[in-house]
Amino acid sequence: MFESHLLSLITLAPAVAAIGLGLIPGRYERLVRWLAFGISLGIFFTSLLMWMVFDPSMGGMQMVEKADWIPQFGIEFHLGVDGISLLLVLLTTLLVPVVIAASWTSVRDKVKAFHICLLLLTTGMVGAFLALDVFLFYVFWEFILIPMYFIIGVWGGARRIYAAVKFFIFTMAGSVLMLVAILYTARVHFETTGIWSFDYFVWLETASQIPMGGVWSPQMLVFIAFALAFAIKVPMFPFHTWLPDAHVEAPTGGSIILAGVLLKLGTYGFLRFNRALFPEAWEKAVPVIMVLAVIGIVYGAFVALVQPDIKKLVAYSSVSHLGFVMLGLAAGTISSTQGAILQMVNHGLATGALFLLIGILYERRGTLLIADYGGIATVVPVLTGFFLLVTLASIGLPGLNGFVGEFLILAGSWPVAPAAVVGAGLGVVLGAVTMLWMVQRVFWNPLSHEENRGLRDMNFREVATVLPLVLFIVWIGVFPMTFLAPMEAAVRLLLE
Amino acid sequence: MDFLVSHFAEILFYILAALAVLGSVGVITLKNPVNAALSLLGTFFIVAVLFVLQHAEFLAAVQVMVYAGGIMVLFLFVIMLVSVKGLKTQAAFLSPLVPVAIIGAILVGALITSAVLLGVFATGDGGPEALQMVDGAVLGNTEAVGMVLYTKYLVPFEVVSVVLLVAMIGAIVFGRKDRFIEEQEGEVGS
Amino acid sequence: MPLEQFVPFIPEIFLAIASFVLLVGGIGLGRRGMRPLALGAVGSLVVTGILVWLFGRPAGEPEVILGGMLAIDTFAVFFKLLVLASAILTIMLATGFLERFRYGGGEFFALILTATLGMFVMASGVNLVSLYVGLELMALSSYVLVGYCKLEVKSNEGAVKYFVLGAMSSGILLYGISLVYGSLGTLDLMEIKTALVAAPQDNLVLMLGIVLMAFGMLFKVAAVPFHVWSPDAYEGAPTPVTAFISVAPKAAAFAMFLRIFAGAFSPEIDHWRSVIWLAAAMTMIFGNIAALSQDNVKRMLAYSSIAHAGYALMGVVAGTAYGTWSVLMYMLVYTFMNIGAFGLVVLLETRGYAGETVKDWAGLSKKAPAAAAGMLILLLALAGIPPTGGFMSKLYVFAAAINAGYIWLAVIGVLMSAVSLYYYFRIVVQMYLVEGEEAESGAELVRDRWAEGVVLVSVLVVMAIGVYPAPFVGWAQGGLNALGLM
Repeated sequence: MFESHLLSLITLAPAVAAIGLGLIPGRYERLVRWLAFGISLGIFFTSLLMWMVFDPSMGGMQMVEKADWIPQFGIEFHLGVDGISLLLVLLTTLLVPVVIAASWTSVRDKVKAFHICLLLLTTGMVGAFLALDVFLFYVFWEFILIPMYFIIGVWGGARRIYAAVKFFIFTMAGSVLMLVAILYTARVHFETTGIWSFDYFVWLETASQIPMGGVWSPQMLVFIAFALAFAIKVPMFPFHTWLPDAHVEAPTGGSIILAGVLLKLGTYGFLRFNRALFPEAWEKAVPVIMVLAVIGIVYGAFVALVQPDIKKLVAYSSVSHLGFVMLGLAAGTISSTQGAILQMVNHGLATGALFLLIGILYERRGTLLIADYGGIATVVPVLTGFFLLVTLASIGLPGLNGFVGEFLILAGSWPVAPAAVVGAGLGVVLGAVTMLWMVQRVFWNPLSHEENRGLRDMNFREVATVLPLVLFIVWIGVFPMTFLAPMEAAVRLLLE
Repeated sequence: MDFLVSHFAEILFYILAALAVLGSVGVITLKNPVNAALSLLGTFFIVAVLFVLQHAEFLAAVQVMVYAGGIMVLFLFVIMLVSVKGLKTQAAFLSPLVPVAIIGAILVGALITSAVLLGVFATGDGGPEALQMVDGAVLGNTEAVGMVLYTKYLVPFEVVSVVLLVAMIGAIVFGRKDRFIEEQEGEVGS
Repeated sequence: MPLEQFVPFIPEIFLAIASFVLLVGGIGLGRRGMRPLALGAVGSLVVTGILVWLFGRPAGEPEVILGGMLAIDTFAVFFKLLVLASAILTIMLATGFLERFRYGGGEFFALILTATLGMFVMASGVNLVSLYVGLELMALSSYVLVGYCKLEVKSNEGAVKYFVLGAMSSGILLYGISLVYGSLGTLDLMEIKTALVAAPQDNLVLMLGIVLMAFGMLFKVAAVPFHVWSPDAYEGAPTPVTAFISVAPKAAAFAMFLRIFAGAFSPEIDHWRSVIWLAAAMTMIFGNIAALSQDNVKRMLAYSSIAHAGYALMGVVAGTAYGTWSVLMYMLVYTFMNIGAFGLVVLLETRGYAGETVKDWAGLSKKAPAAAAGMLILLLALAGIPPTGGFMSKLYVFAAAINAGYIWLAVIGVLMSAVSLYYYFRIVVQMYLVEGEEAESGAELVRDRWAEGVVLVSVLVVMAIGVYPAPFVGWAQGGLNALGLM
């Protein structure tokens, strides 16, 4: 009984908790924080339970739940988990308590509202990863925008209103066309079978029946509508302009969620919908996606190199890292796809941790400019240690998680597209230079600002916050099979 | 001559119709309000004659009594009571006439086109003969209208009575001084 | 005519009598009589609703009564109940408003009731004559309501524009009706349909009549390019009246629209569809773009109402059963979200009449978190974002358009919804995101329990439809069981 409703528990419990939280008077800030933290931790443990129940040998969906939602349209509340979504859900539920802990002192204003937003966001993210009804997926996908808009807009930096509106309009504009594509596909299914269905499994058959031809053929247009929505979210190269603004203005917690989970929704969407539903169109689009991915890798790294602002630098390096993920997906071999999925998780962990540490710095010093730091390694040795470790993970040092993902992607893509791999390799080097140079300028170099001398090092709470992330970073780096094994069957099924 | 006799009704119709148009043009172009009102009166009479030509005697009588009689008298009263000399002939009234004239031209053109293309309209339950029939017996136009109005078209007839009531309420609402405002002023004063 | 035929007409008769009683009862009642009078009006509307449920429902198959003037079918019941709901909510909004602005209530409530009566006839009429007189009753009552705050220049201006252009549109509609009558010889919708099915026509007079009737109806639903009256009328009208005329007459006009076009003229769909298509596209584009630059919230919501008529028109363009019930569904959601949003405008009207700018909403989340949250939900619904009812209703019209092959129209629709986010969120930005002095400068909320109740009801309905739309979809689909429609 419990197991059969595990997924809807993980999905809906945060939203219910958010409503419950709304009933508590806002002045009990500590109570709200502890409650939200407890709830999110409970959800994380529940998702660990899901991991235990999960059978890694099976490639298909597990723990499937199905209930009528809008029967007149064949729309169902349909959830299920496979090896791909399993990891991403785990990542999501891990990051939420981390974000709450990280915001313990940095979010002082409208504490209750912040946690409500965060819990609603959790429902949206988990729901989007688990949804097996395309319509349901769309609902969760759109729903995410609202709490994220507020997190950026209310608790963000100086230009937060601009950043929030830009984030909202960009992602909305991308996703509305996806709605048209979804409805069009449903219509095709209705015309061929006479029944309405938005079921993912049913669509695996239907979607390929949409007439396919040149770029302007229906199937290609539907594919593009989906791809556009996801490409903006990832963000892929020409659609990335909202990301640096959103990251710089978002509060620490918002940045962690944004980089850690929201961007993954885009890549997940590419894999789950574009790749699986429209294999023919995907074949045609692969060269374009690869070119854009490599441009993204190199461009992101180059632009990051010259950023004076730490957060912006990390944001652009995210564009670069997500380019790797897209490259792995586009190459489409088993190992490159596995690498891409793992890299999604890696990026979530490493960049999440980086934003967390940057947030800690910002809380102490109130600035994000690299030039305002320098030589603080001796002042804050613990912070420096963590920062260096996470940076190394992010640039792909062997023994840490980033290496496994990038290696799988590059090795898996080599037989398919050696030129792209060469380009991406250049990006790896550039990315490493960028990040290490930043670390050098912030933590080493001579200590030029007197006010940095009095910086406090990380306290117990902060260490406890970052430790779980570091734990997973090392775990994936050392025993990647724990995470690769459950997804292998699913990836195999999806690609064949 | 034969043509004139056999088509007498049509020829009369076109002459009267042209006069009616002329009359209504007069209403909006004549500068003196009294002249305009008289032009309107003439139009009403011509329309009444047109009704007679269509064997709608009841409507013709109503037209003369209600419009030419009642409403026109009221109009003229108002014009007499309000000092006409004080009113300026406003040029501003002409400017919005341009789009209205365009719309009017389109509608008139449409009617003429359709009349030319189709010649005659189809006749349904409202043809001249039907207007005199009550349960198959030829009585007269007034009885026929009365029968139709109180049987088939009872609902619209009753609803129209409410429409008239609403028009009256509207006139009173806009016309009278507002009680609440006075009450408030009284409070302020005391 | 047998007397039993009047039984389904009892709700209308009751409504007429109730409006007379209110009119007479309102005489001599001062300010203190306002609330009892309002309660009387709400009570009689509720009783009317019960009477509709008891007598106005079809026993089985739809049937015509009273000389073929009115139909008794679920379609009519759906719209009657919807119109009643908006009338009740409007009266609850208006009571406090009229007290604050010191206007009497008797005529106001009576006019709301007569307008409702007119819309009842519009919802159930199956003869062009009954439909037309219903429309006129509704329109005339609305003109007076718009000008009700007669000491406000804006109210006068709005009423005059509404009246002149409304009369003109009625004239165009009537002209179209006369041409249709001239070429088919009947005013009965069923007979028109039968005649058109038997002998498909493409004679010019009939086409012209249909197109002119379409123009007249587009005027009434305020579709571009026939919308010019609506921003001024909406901005000038007393805000509760704005709430009322932006939803109820629009819903009734859509009922009439569907009866005539999706019903009687359905055999000629290829001839009129392109007109409506064009109007729908232009309405969505123009309504949303014009709303972008409005600083007055009432005017912004007026343009947004125009845009919403465009979305609903997509269902008419589709011309299918899906299209029809998607319009019903759209009107259901639209009624509640728009009345709710205007309800909050009423609550914010502490700085005088029709002066509420976007800036007045600044910092509302601090001063009145519940009101701000309510407005947020209503704005999300208006923008069509899940999980609100607004998303669900838009979904169905888009699906209907796509299903009928009008994919580009749906693309315009979704892109324009994305555009609409920008202006709806200008209010959200003011409510939640601005801080400091700017946030302090916002307007205060009026204490008005009744209006607060209206907002609460609207929010609850909009959320209920968004989270679990199945029963509401069921009702809307039930409304398809209509005379002359299928």
